[in-house]
Order: sequence, then C-alpha cells, then structure tokens
Amino acid sequence: MNHALTVSGLTKTYPDFVLDGVSLCVPSGSIVGLIGENGAGKSTTLHAALGLIRRDAGQVFLLGRDAMDNAVREQLGVVFDGDNYPESLSPAKIGRVLKHIYRTWDDSAYSSLLRQFSLPVDKPLRQFSKGMRMKLALSAALAHHPKLLILDEATSGLDPIVRDDLLDMLLDFVQDEAHSVLVSSHITSDLEKIADYIVFLHEGRVVFSKAKDELTERYGILKCGTAQFDALEREDWIAYREMEYERQVLVPDRDRARRKYPKAMVVPATIDEIMLLYVKGETQ
Amino acid sequence: MKGVFLKDLYITKSNLLVVVGNLVVLGFGVSFLFDPGAILVLAPAAAVTPVFISIAGDASSKWNKNALTMPLSRGQLVGEKYLLYGLLAALGPLAALLPCGALALAGRPVSPQSLWLYGALGLSAALLSGGISLPFAYCMDPEKSQIVFMLSFLVSTGIIAALVVLINQLIPVKTHLVPAFLAVLAVSLLCFLGSCRVAIEVYRKRDVT
Repeated sequence: MNHALTVSGLTKTYPDFVLDGVSLCVPSGSIVGLIGENGAGKSTTLHAALGLIRRDAGQVFLLGRDAMDNAVREQLGVVFDGDNYPESLSPAKIGRVLKHIYRTWDDSAYSSLLRQFSLPVDKPLRQFSKGMRMKLALSAALAHHPKLLILDEATSGLDPIVRDDLLDMLLDFVQDEAHSVLVSSHITSDLEKIADYIVFLHEGRVVFSKAKDELTERYGILKCGTAQFDALEREDWIAYREMEYERQVLVPDRDRARRKYPKAMVVPATIDEIMLLYVKGETQ
Repeated sequence: MKGVFLKDLYITKSNLLVVVGNLVVLGFGVSFLFDPGAILVLAPAAAVTPVFISIAGDASSKWNKNALTMPLSRGQLVGEKYLLYGLLAALGPLAALLPCGALALAGRPVSPQSLWLYGALGLSAALLSGGISLPFAYCMDPEKSQIVFMLSFLVSTGIIAALVVLINQLIPVKTHLVPAFLAVLAVSLLCFLGSCRVAIEVYRKRDVT
C-alpha cells in the first residue's frame, strides 16, 4: 500500500511536554483522523511532520520523499485552525498572490470553489466570519490540486452547517484515489462521519491507530455492576469507569463480550466514549 | 518570491501612501528651518517602518506558518523582507526629493552636494539600523523587535560616527564630504547584506508555530 505520509518515532521535547516516538501513516486515498484531548500533541505532530518545528528524533516521509522540498510542498494543501492569511487581503488578492507561488495554481478551480462556498471575492478577510475564513483557506488549499491535504483543527469553533460543508468537501476530495487527507480534531463526531482510520494521541503518545470501522463496529461498552465486573476476565476489557449506578467497561470485541457475558448489557461505543475511557478510565 | 512580494505590496500600499504624504509635507516644513535637503536624512528611516508592520502582521495572521507549507524556502521569505526594506529605504529619499524639487523651482537654494550628503547619510542610517534590527524581528516577539528597531538608529548613528573618524584617517572628510559619506553608505550596504545571511540562518533554526 502506498502511503502519502509516514511518520515514525517522531520525538520533540519541550520543557513541559514531550512528543514521544509518535508513528502514524496516511495511506493514499484515505482520510486519517488524528484525535486526542487539547494538549495531547496533535498540532505538534503536524508541525513536526510539516517541518515547521525541528524534531529531536524520528523520520517523516511526505509523498514518498524524506525532505520537505518545494516539489513536495507543491503537492501539499494545509489548513490551520484560525487565521491562515493576512486579514487585509481579499480572496481575489490572495488568489493573485498564490498564483505566483504555486506552479500548479488553477484560477478557474479557485473561482469555482469560492462560488461554491458563496464567498465574496473582493471583501477583505477582516469582514469574514470564522466559517468563511475556513472555507477560504480550504479553497486556497485545494486550488493548486494537492495530493495530500493536512487540516489542523480546521473544524473547531465552526457551526454544524459549515462543518458539514467542509466534511463534504473532504469526502469529494478523496474520491480520487491519489488524494489523501490527514485531519486533526477533537470533534470526534466529524471524524466518525468521514475518517477511514483513527490515530489517538494521549499525552504525546499514540494510544492506538486503527481502522475506524474496527472501532465503531467492534468496540463496545459493557455496563455492569461491581460483582459482574469482578467476574470479567482481564483480557476481555481495556478500561472501565465507575459511574453512579454501574461500571462502564470498554471492551475490544462487543460480540465476543455479548456471547461470553450474556447477562451484561453491551452497547456500541462511539469514538468519543472510547477516547474518554482510554483517557479517564481505570485499567487496574 | 514574487507572490510574497506582491502580498507585502498589497499590505504596505496604504502605509506607503501615508509615509510618502508625510515626507512631502515634512519636507516643505523642514525647508523653513533647515536646508531643504535635510529631509533626506529622515526619509529612509520613515519609509521602512511598513516592513516591521509587515513582519509583525505575518506573525499575528499566521501567514508565516502557512507560507512555510508552500513552495517557498525560509531564505526566500527572509530575503523578500530585506528586498522590501532596501526598496523602501531607496523610495523614501525619492519621495523626499519632490518637495526639494518644488522648492528649487520656487527659487530656494538646493545644492546637489547637500542632497548627496544627506541622502547618503539617511540611507546609511536606515541600512545599518535594518541590518541590526531585522534579524531580531525573526527571533523576538513583535513588541521587543520594535524596541530594537528604535534603538538600532542610535547604534547606527554611533557606527556612522566611528566610520567617519576612520575614513578621516585616510582622507580628510571636511574637504571630501560626499565621497566620505558614499564610502559610509557602501560599508552600510555590506553590513545590510551580511545581516540578511544572519537573519536567514536565525530563521532556519527557529520553530514556527
């Protein structure tokens, strides 16, 4: 399988935070969601992968190359959370600027994306809402026909309708098998809709990296009392949380748990619940 | 680099018009007190302020971070700011020549020698202060780098004085004012180009988040 991005053993040490040997890959033609709580290391991972910060250790292969040169950047579209362009510029001026930066810049694709998102062409960005700025950043990132799109918390702070528009755009983008997306977000419901793989970061480490279908179709929450919990075999569960009237136990295979513990209630787990139990659950 | 330069021209356009307007008005004002050419000393320093506004704006709008994911090197991004600084430093005296020309047409005495002298002095001060302060703009926050920019004019005045003393050892400056200050300008230009290399190295080693 070809990978648009491969990160292995990525390490970056700050006085108060360590990104500790992060490894992940983005297979071509797929959407990979990078999830984790605030401060888990999602942005640091993306910044290090993009060469914005120097890494202490580890390797990054972007579109098959280990150097972030102009040939790679030409095929890369990046959207960061918040501002991406000076607010005194209008979409038309940004288009003229980017036309002189990207050799593959496509004016007609850019205009078509601006029309599709109903963005005014000549208004300065300072008059744009956050959602409009994000749509503009995505239009600019797509207008030079990138192969890999990287979005860092691009949907945070946006209303559900704008988020849905952006997610639709990402799904359209990966219809071409040569295109891939790496999107970091703490809004896991967005990733449940679009991601093929989920990489979960916690305190600077990868907790798991799995196909989304495996998570949503196999993982489950087993709800039981203390006595029932004591009867569970350790290999059957990952973590549990003590609730007011029950224990919620994260199980890696809910069908197996249903067969093995027929008296317990086992329900499907959302990615949010899986993340919550991994982070806040007890493992002993 | 053309795209980044265009972006900065869009951003500095409104600031530039204000600077040019101020220089023309100030030129007429100064001419009542001093030699009309004296405005050429201030002009380059006044004209380069949009560069610092642009560097601070790039950081606050996260353009820096975004630009580094585009087919642009860190060297190109820094080099473009130096190019813009150099062009604005040259544009300032040209704008200041407008009131000088108008006053000369109106019959006020404007000597070419004083224009060369003040022009070389103003450009030298601007290039030296840019050479000192621009690398700091890439390793300090915008507020601190503005302070460095202001202090750098004091330092550059000292450097110019030292250079004049040094040149005086070789040729008598009093009788060769223009060549002496053109030599100061040449040294300032070399320092400015050297500073560009330093700033590129500083920025290459810097984490941009």
